[in-house]
Amino acid sequence: MKTEVSQLNEYLVLNLIGRLDTVQAPALEKKMLEILDQGHDKIILDCKEMDYISSSGLRIFLIAQKRMMGISGTLRICNLQSNIGEVFEISGFSLIFSIYPDLESAIIN
Amino acid sequence: MDTSDQNHTLILVNQLGELDTIRECIANLIKAWNIHPSFEFPLNMVLEEAFTNVIRYAFDDDSEHEIELNFNRQDDCLIITLTDDGQPYDPTAKADPDTALPASDRPIGGLGIFLVKKYMDEVRYRRHNNKNQLISVKKLSI
Repeated sequence: MKTEVSQLNEYLVLNLIGRLDTVQAPALEKKMLEILDQGHDKIILDCKEMDYISSSGLRIFLIAQKRMMGISGTLRICNLQSNIGEVFEISGFSLIFSIYPDLESAIIN
Repeated sequence: MDTSDQNHTLILVNQLGELDTIRECIANLIKAWNIHPSFEFPLNMVLEEAFTNVIRYAFDDDSEHEIELNFNRQDDCLIITLTDDGQPYDPTAKADPDTALPASDRPIGGLGIFLVKKYMDEVRYRRHNNKNQLISVKKLSI
């Protein structure tokens, strides 16, 4: 998994690229914790190019959400591929995240 | 691989690197057994969860262990059996997480076997010949 970080308006956008599986998850967790430790309070996770997830990846999303709620920050997710959207539905994660169909709507709304 | 009898067995060891072997095997079986490509994602996820669960919880030593993964196609059903020689452990006995809880109350982790149960049509465990067997069935109809 590759990650690209950019700033768009007031949001830090983290572009997640590739597979988020058990092998890849520790590197993303480290990266995510670094970003959270920097105190960003508006983050968008753009999943347009993330084509796989397992529970190891879901775990990182939940860690980030809990941290952001703790600082009354905003964490948004956009561009979930349909397979991954289904995993979010089944896990109940679609209830606990603000999920947007694309980056534009995640920024505007 | 010889897939003519629609039965295929992989002998793996308890290393995360085997997830690549599993992924490659699923991709090959999907082609060879003419399974709809939409099953590739869920089968990968289910087997990643089941396999990593065995690696994490079945063994109480640091030795290498063999883990057998068998795929058996019977008509429109794919039966997947994962066998390990670890300590008795029934992952299906674990209570399902409450997926309606708000984020603040959701525990970190604990979704792996839940996803296996949700994505497969049938999941059962048995202790057989001093080994753990997780048997799961996926209907391959669209």
